[in-house]
Amino acid sequence: MRDVAIVAAGQRQQAAFTDETEVQILLPIFEQVRNDTGLEQSDIGFTCSGSSDFLAGSAFSFVGTLEGVGAYPPICESHVEMDGAWALYEAWVKLQIGEIDTALVYSYGKSSPGSLRDVLSTQLDPYYLAPLWPDAFALGALQARMMLEQDIVSRDRLTEIAVRSRDHASSSPHAVRKGDATTDFVEASPVIADPLRADDCAAGADGGCVIILAAGDIAKNVCDRPAWIRGIEHRTDAHSLAGRDLLSAQSAALAANAAGVGDDKIDIAELHGPFTHQEHLLETALGITDETIVNPSGGALAGHTMMAAGLMRIAEAATRVSAGAGDRAVAHATSGPWLQQNLVCVMEGD
Amino acid sequence: MTKLESIDYTLEYPYTRSTGPVWGPFLTGLRDGKILGARIGNKIYCPPLEFDPETAAAAEPDLVEVGPGGTVSGWTWVTKPTTKHPFDHPFAFALIVLDGADTAMAHAIDAKTEAAMRTGMRVSAQFRDERVGAVTDVYFVPEADAVDQEIAAGDEPVAITIHSIGVDISEPLSPHRVRFAEGLRNGKIIGQKSPTSGLVYVPGRGYDNMERVRMDESCDVEVADVGTVVAYTTISPIQYHGQTETEPYIRCSILLDGADQPLGGIDIRDMTPEEFRTGMRLKCVWRPPEERDYSDLDNRGGGLTEGVYERWEPTGEPDVDFESIKEHTW
Amino acid sequence: MSKNNCAVVGVGQTKYQTTRGDVSMAGLVREAAYRALEDAEMSWSDIDAVVIGKAPDFFEGVMMPEIYLAEALGCAGKPILRVHTAGSVGGSTALVATSLIQAGIHERVLTLGFEKQSESNATWALSLPQPFSVSINAGAGGYFSPIIRQYMIESAAPELIGCMVAFKDRQHALRNPYAHLHQHDLTFDQVVEAPMLWEPIRYSETCPSSDGACAMVLGSESVGDASSKPVAWVQGTSMRSEANTFPGRNEVNPRASRECADDVFSQAGITDRRREIDVVEMYVPFSWYEPMWLESLGFAEIGEGWKMVEEGATHIDGGDLPVNCSGGVLSTNPIGASGMIRFAEAALQVRQMAGEHQVDGVQRSLGHAYGGGAQYFAMWILGDTKP
Repeated sequence: MRDVAIVAAGQRQQAAFTDETEVQILLPIFEQVRNDTGLEQSDIGFTCSGSSDFLAGSAFSFVGTLEGVGAYPPICESHVEMDGAWALYEAWVKLQIGEIDTALVYSYGKSSPGSLRDVLSTQLDPYYLAPLWPDAFALGALQARMMLEQDIVSRDRLTEIAVRSRDHASSSPHAVRKGDATTDFVEASPVIADPLRADDCAAGADGGCVIILAAGDIAKNVCDRPAWIRGIEHRTDAHSLAGRDLLSAQSAALAANAAGVGDDKIDIAELHGPFTHQEHLLETALGITDETIVNPSGGALAGHTMMAAGLMRIAEAATRVSAGAGDRAVAHATSGPWLQQNLVCVMEGD
Repeated sequence: MTKLESIDYTLEYPYTRSTGPVWGPFLTGLRDGKILGARIGNKIYCPPLEFDPETAAAAEPDLVEVGPGGTVSGWTWVTKPTTKHPFDHPFAFALIVLDGADTAMAHAIDAKTEAAMRTGMRVSAQFRDERVGAVTDVYFVPEADAVDQEIAAGDEPVAITIHSIGVDISEPLSPHRVRFAEGLRNGKIIGQKSPTSGLVYVPGRGYDNMERVRMDESCDVEVADVGTVVAYTTISPIQYHGQTETEPYIRCSILLDGADQPLGGIDIRDMTPEEFRTGMRLKCVWRPPEERDYSDLDNRGGGLTEGVYERWEPTGEPDVDFESIKEHTW
Repeated sequence: MSKNNCAVVGVGQTKYQTTRGDVSMAGLVREAAYRALEDAEMSWSDIDAVVIGKAPDFFEGVMMPEIYLAEALGCAGKPILRVHTAGSVGGSTALVATSLIQAGIHERVLTLGFEKQSESNATWALSLPQPFSVSINAGAGGYFSPIIRQYMIESAAPELIGCMVAFKDRQHALRNPYAHLHQHDLTFDQVVEAPMLWEPIRYSETCPSSDGACAMVLGSESVGDASSKPVAWVQGTSMRSEANTFPGRNEVNPRASRECADDVFSQAGITDRRREIDVVEMYVPFSWYEPMWLESLGFAEIGEGWKMVEEGATHIDGGDLPVNCSGGVLSTNPIGASGMIRFAEAALQVRQMAGEHQVDGVQRSLGHAYGGGAQYFAMWILGDTKP
């Protein structure tokens, strides 16, 4: 494996960016990562982004956002209709071939103009499930109840995770739900879909995230302490209930195993769990122990930008490795109902 | 006066899904009052699949009737149903393992109250009076609430199921678009001049995509309502869902005097293709201010919509030479 | 660090038609995937990863349909990537799959592009509110017609060149059993007399709206070497994108197209493009794009691409550079698969497996796709020998 590192990461996230288009959200982040590294778009070997037409409410929506990255003179570029974490994976693959040394990855989501719970229903089996419009909260709640009833997790544990998110988010500039990190406060939050309370569900957000990857010596030249990618893997589970076990996150465990999460101590984990019970499933799947600080940013619970939340987890983990807050970190991204698809990225400082 | 504050619309379409060799018979079954599962290997899958979900190996359709009774293996209660949901009153989404099936099916239970719901409860299928060959033809009730139904089988097998998708979007108009709209209200076309390159974009987008800088109110400039046709096409409308045009019309891009980027999507309805041409000079004839409609303005595309002008009329000036405008052909 | 070799070892296509009413979406993609596996003499369990591409999710009204299709494509427990780069997506998808092999990450990758356009209406989906450019409100033809008119003016091409391309591709399609349009009785006069849809584009010069899927199995060098059938070796790959709206943009011959072509020919070590390439599968959704791309790709001098059309140089019978022997996009257009079909047909030609539309003695082919406002480009060059 070629040594490739995250050398810069930036993000913006708010409950809603009412006054800014997607390009306007991204422009200052592009500027930040370029300033951080001294790399211009003309220095970038490959650019890759992740976004969703359905979320944007228009076909080819990413074509508009290409206008923000500086795509003239022409650039080597690709786009995945996935969370930006998978765009990062595609860029990492290109870097592995060895013909380019740098890549820029970005993703963004602006769900505030629409109803995300309705939009996500269109992701379900179009013959059996989608026509019933089960929304994301209902699906999450159904899974949470099964876990509670089968003692996979306790109500107290869910509350603990919600409190942890609020606590950690207090020091995170990008978190949209923070503070009031007490059991009483969380337990008083309204029920959204029984048994899930508002604080069990990720706080919706708009935002964008940009990451620059660089290989070998270039990484060392543009960054004091690059976050070296030591393993990056992704897997999917089946979609239909016939092939799913809702009480575990199997594909997350497969990806974590392949990425070598368990090979050494993990200092920091940034997990993309849209619900408290899913964060619990992920901790189990990744084999996270008490040695690890989980979601120091507050995680996706503290702010969930659809299509960018996974890339933001990688950014949060990498930023902390680069700052010396930990030597070995794991970041995780998910997509699809009930944690169907999962990506795991292991990073280390020097 | 149309509001300028937000853009509200619904993306809506009745998708026509062809169902194929397994899901077609399943939906036909629902229409005819029975639930079919698929025997694949030594398991019975309901809902049925066209293939083995573990190996992806093809499976010859072997459909067997399951249910109508079943057992709830997981559920949640929906207190505030939306108009898209199967019921207009509170209900449960649940996983139901039908009698005779080995796998769970997600569906809706009309249980009246949340207190009536529990994991392991027995439910029974009920069919809607009007059945159309869709998964919504069936729903479930607690076993004790089930009533006997006489279901007459339909004629033709279900080959198509209709899946209507509607997504509501409500987005505030961006500040630069509000200023553009306010300009139109005053009969002015407002563009934005890049602080870096000096090029004038109409309408402004709040950023310069070449220089990659954001542009704010200080970049706003007025351009003329007179310009040159740089591109056009004559459209013979295709009749598709939602199409309102029936007659051929011209759609053109005009490079307004003072702008470096043409304004696209301008409809011309009072000139013939024979008299219309690239290079001709046109002037905007505005609607009276009180009649202007800005409702088609959005945050990304769009410029002068038909709600704003009555027509574009030739100025009578000589045509502009093609060579001088050929880099604006869009 | 060296780039691993990659070979196309299997190709599978569905029959393309307006409505594949006999299959579900899963059935459609499985049909192509299964045929590709069969061609590669593999089974689902041999595949390490899947890379799937399609155009806007609004065509089928399913957000990220690969999520629902995961197990239909044998992906449970495996990686799946979903690419979307506008009309070029089929090509870009194949290139992402190629990079997984070239990087040494996987040995066997299934890549697939599909569209089931009959579930909705393409022109509706492309005219949604808030499009990327207002010009496209009138569908793709409304966007491209002024660009085509500019080419006609600048090149002084005879008016019926576009009709010649359309007639040629429809003739080619008659030799391809998978092609959507099989217009046996079509005459050149009928092409010319067809109504103008987006003047100067006639109805007959546009592409149909198709259902269909196209799949390929890509393998590493050892997989390619072990194949019992001829394989097509990847000799060059390139992608380029450029912004859509800025003053001075050359829309007739976009810089991204030229630079993408320069890159891919250079990788394959090709200097005399017209002589060294034996056959081209080119993305031509409107007939006039054949002469336009012939110039942009460097097969003809600027302003002279139409002469190749007029001389019959791009015809399968007697042409020295046959273009779109499969019938091309003009005869078959499931948008998300259209680029993949170009790439796969280029592979079939090199493998000498194109059947009735096989060109004799093909050693090297070019697969080409573009999308957006002629701003996304994906190309690959295949050969019967390793690079």
